[in-house]
Amino acid sequence: MPRRLVSSLGTTAVLSLVLAACGGDGDADSATGDGGDGTLTVSVWNLEGTPEFQALFDAFEEAHPDITVEPVDILADDYEEKLTAMLAGGDQTDVITIKNVMEYGEYANRGQLLDITDVVESADTSDLAGLEAFDVDGSYFAMPYRQDFWVIYYNKTLFDEAGIDYPDTITWDEYVDIAEQLTEGEDEDKVYGTYHHTWRSVTQAISAAQTGGDLLGGDYSFFADQYEVAVGLQESGAAMDFGTANAQQASYQTMFETGATAMLPMGTWYIAAILAAEERGDTDVDWGIAPMAQRPDTDEVISFGSPTAFAVNENAANADAAKEFVEFAASAEGAKAIAEIGVVPALQTSEITETYFSLDGMPDDELSKKAFEPDVVELEMPVSERTADIDEILNQEHELIMVGDKSIEDGLSTMSERVRTEVRD
Amino acid sequence: MATLHAPVGEDAPLAPQPSAAPRRRGARDLLRMIATYTILIFLALLVLVPFIWMISSSLKRNNEVFTVPIQWIPEEFQWSNFVEIWDRIPMHTYLRNSAFLATVITFLQVLTGSFAAYGFAKVRFPGRDALFLGYVATVAIPWQAYMVPQYIMMQNAQLTNTHLSIILIQAFGAFGVFLMRQYYMSIPDELVEAARIDGLSEYGIYWRIILPLSKPALASLALLTFVNTWNDYMGPFIYLTSNELWTVQLGLRSFVGQYDAEYAMIMTGAVLSVLPVVLVFLLGQRYFIRGIATTGLKG
Amino acid sequence: MAHPSIPSAAPQPVAPDPPRRSSRRRLIRRETLVGWSFILPNFAGFALLTLVPVLMAFALAFMRWDSYGSPEWLGLDNFRRLVSDETFHMALFNTVYYAAGHIPLTLLASLGLAIALNRKIPGLGIFRTAAFFPYITSLVAVAVVWNMLFNPSLGPVNQFLEAIGIAEPPGWTASTAWAMPAVIITSVWRDMGYYMVLYLAGLQTIPQEYYEAARVDGANAWQRFWHVTLPGLRPITFFVVVILTIQSFKVFDLIFVMTEGGPGRSTLVLSQLIYQEGISQGRFGYSSAVALALFFLVFIITVVQFRLNKRGES
Repeated sequence: MPRRLVSSLGTTAVLSLVLAACGGDGDADSATGDGGDGTLTVSVWNLEGTPEFQALFDAFEEAHPDITVEPVDILADDYEEKLTAMLAGGDQTDVITIKNVMEYGEYANRGQLLDITDVVESADTSDLAGLEAFDVDGSYFAMPYRQDFWVIYYNKTLFDEAGIDYPDTITWDEYVDIAEQLTEGEDEDKVYGTYHHTWRSVTQAISAAQTGGDLLGGDYSFFADQYEVAVGLQESGAAMDFGTANAQQASYQTMFETGATAMLPMGTWYIAAILAAEERGDTDVDWGIAPMAQRPDTDEVISFGSPTAFAVNENAANADAAKEFVEFAASAEGAKAIAEIGVVPALQTSEITETYFSLDGMPDDELSKKAFEPDVVELEMPVSERTADIDEILNQEHELIMVGDKSIEDGLSTMSERVRTEVRD
Repeated sequence: MATLHAPVGEDAPLAPQPSAAPRRRGARDLLRMIATYTILIFLALLVLVPFIWMISSSLKRNNEVFTVPIQWIPEEFQWSNFVEIWDRIPMHTYLRNSAFLATVITFLQVLTGSFAAYGFAKVRFPGRDALFLGYVATVAIPWQAYMVPQYIMMQNAQLTNTHLSIILIQAFGAFGVFLMRQYYMSIPDELVEAARIDGLSEYGIYWRIILPLSKPALASLALLTFVNTWNDYMGPFIYLTSNELWTVQLGLRSFVGQYDAEYAMIMTGAVLSVLPVVLVFLLGQRYFIRGIATTGLKG
Repeated sequence: MAHPSIPSAAPQPVAPDPPRRSSRRRLIRRETLVGWSFILPNFAGFALLTLVPVLMAFALAFMRWDSYGSPEWLGLDNFRRLVSDETFHMALFNTVYYAAGHIPLTLLASLGLAIALNRKIPGLGIFRTAAFFPYITSLVAVAVVWNMLFNPSLGPVNQFLEAIGIAEPPGWTASTAWAMPAVIITSVWRDMGYYMVLYLAGLQTIPQEYYEAARVDGANAWQRFWHVTLPGLRPITFFVVVILTIQSFKVFDLIFVMTEGGPGRSTLVLSQLIYQEGISQGRFGYSSAVALALFFLVFIITVVQFRLNKRGES
């Protein structure tokens, strides 16, 4: 009995596997057929907490009265995991929101996204930031609608009290200096000069952008200066140490909004959140943004950022409408819709910047405006088949350097060594 | 844990009154009782600290939750969080869905598990033990490993985005079978034999003799299954897409954004979602404590 | 032949008794049917919804598959890669390390709790509920609070260690050497209430008469525990040990929330590697190979446990 059972189960398994292999593509035929039912499904994360989606949908529906948008709401936390399962099962959701470029690489390489090079080429993309991130050997499978980049948030009150000038295009040395001067107090009342969140990008992506180093290259000695800054700050106590921040799940919002840190290098997405917190009355911090600190050998303002994009599912039930939506989101109309609610669009024109700075609660000083127009925004992490693997290694070794388990030099050389030997396709 | 054993060894479990206890022990008993309770209260506190943090966080503003060091008493109690959460997310729907799934899955797990366990424990047939071993061993495979094939299967059967999908993948498993089998093993075979001689069918023995005797095990299986389903996040997350099908655990995660999260709301929801579980525990524990039924067992 | 006379049936061993043999076979067949009829409702659901995907995943261990296109046959390539993959070695070591700490400690803690709380003393219900609380407390809360307790400089654990004269207390979750012990301690704390519930149910199977008999024989409390309670808990202990072993080897959630496998790879376990390789990196074939390795490891241990249990029973 058990033997027969095992063999029959085996057969079932093989059969299902074959089924599964076809499952992905099999549904495509039925999908392309029905294009005109007027509903467009869009996968999004955290619809309620991410108002940009609804803003875009409303604007799009107004421009296309014959199409109704139906969001497919997925939790932000494990968005990627759910999407992987859905796409593997041949899901027909029309538009897929690409949360980060690493996922984009995966989906595009697997052929799960529709080639929309024609859409990209027909649109005016001269002011569209972050588009190059989605270039896969000359083809595009997604188009950015939003591009966040990094600036320094600072607490004006703390700067004024200490009699220090606001950080207008400073060097990293000046940054460290200011941070140390602004640090005061002990334990509960301690005010840190700056707060570096635990993400590796805070050190690594900024370093790659400003030195021109290659994040996928396998030689990471160019990180050294930036690690000196980060490790130096936590050793002098001017920044919370990594171990504590990591273990306590320290929140950059809490740190900044409660005045526990004077400076905070962070992405522009935080602007919308801080405006919302002010509106709720959760914080009364007097804040401004300043350009990212720079290496001494440049007069340009160089920062890094990560675009968010829309793509069309290869199995889309309504591919034509999906393409229209993707194009709309990247257009001036789409950009205006999201700029009005405090989100930084990928399309960057002076008109959009104006819309942005006319928001309620937005600081309107010149420095903040200057911060909003960096000269160069490099990509946080380039797309390739090896990106996800390299990311993993860079993360692990970053932790080891930051908790002091390895010296900067040792950490960087293991990092390089591991990327060279362990990463494969 | 050594400290825990000390008071234990003194008194046997379920100690009945010894027939001729010396009266003089009264004072010593009192002392011992005070000592026991002191230790218990200390341990209870240790065990409850994170829960206290949960409650404290649920009464804070969002940007006060992750302070370093921890601030145990909120500066200003935000009782409004417990009102706000009902407006922010459809908690009623989520609670109903969670309750529905947890109840149905628990019921099926207990029913089919205890039924199958009888086959593995009290009926002899060739291949039984090997099959059982294989059954148990599959528990060892992490869900992440077969999640995608399973999802594809369910998608092909058009079952994704239904409560049925969650019920189907969670109601049948080796855990309940194994637990009940072990429990049945401690019921003497003579009892079953006697019933057979009395002409009871195997199903009759299961229903009339074995089930009534295994209330404590049924209760703990039900409790643990209920808790696990209630708290499960990944299964419902992968399978349920429509908001009106979501469970409480999904609802709570909807406060997590791309770059930040509203932890005060999450903790408010977490406190609310623990309450039903505590209730189930309080109701259930009398079954696995006062297991008088077993006195019927005389080997 | 239907009614063999008694004298002619003398050479019994030579001529087996046909009717009795076939009736025995019939009995076996009947028993098998009855047995399967009990097992089937659960087994059918289990086989279709768990076993089939599991077997598919096992088949994938010999293939390359990105979750979308057709799988490509690789033979043993994935396993060859396993042998030389340093990250796999680390994850394997960490998993065994975790299991070696978590299994015995949780076993002792949950048994201790069950025995301590298996009494009808007023108010004890509250303590039983409290003991179960760690298991139902939000994982985020557990991670934050335990990380706070373990904080190298400010945490109460290290302040206590310093107070009793340990000059350089460990760095716990901020150090590669001590992160795993910290995780083990937290997970024992979290799981003990869960297994306590199982032990509580087990304690109810021990007939009260045994204790009375032992008392009459003059056995003290320790002897009663050793000679009555422990043997009585045998079946349930076996269950707890097996399930605890399995759960320890596939641990994921708590570690992921507490340390995310870090610092570095110091608390990276096999389940997380399976997740990383599969869902994050899209190498479902290799991820399945890791799962298969994990399965065999646990399977061997489980078989040994079953054997030992069987020997112990007889």
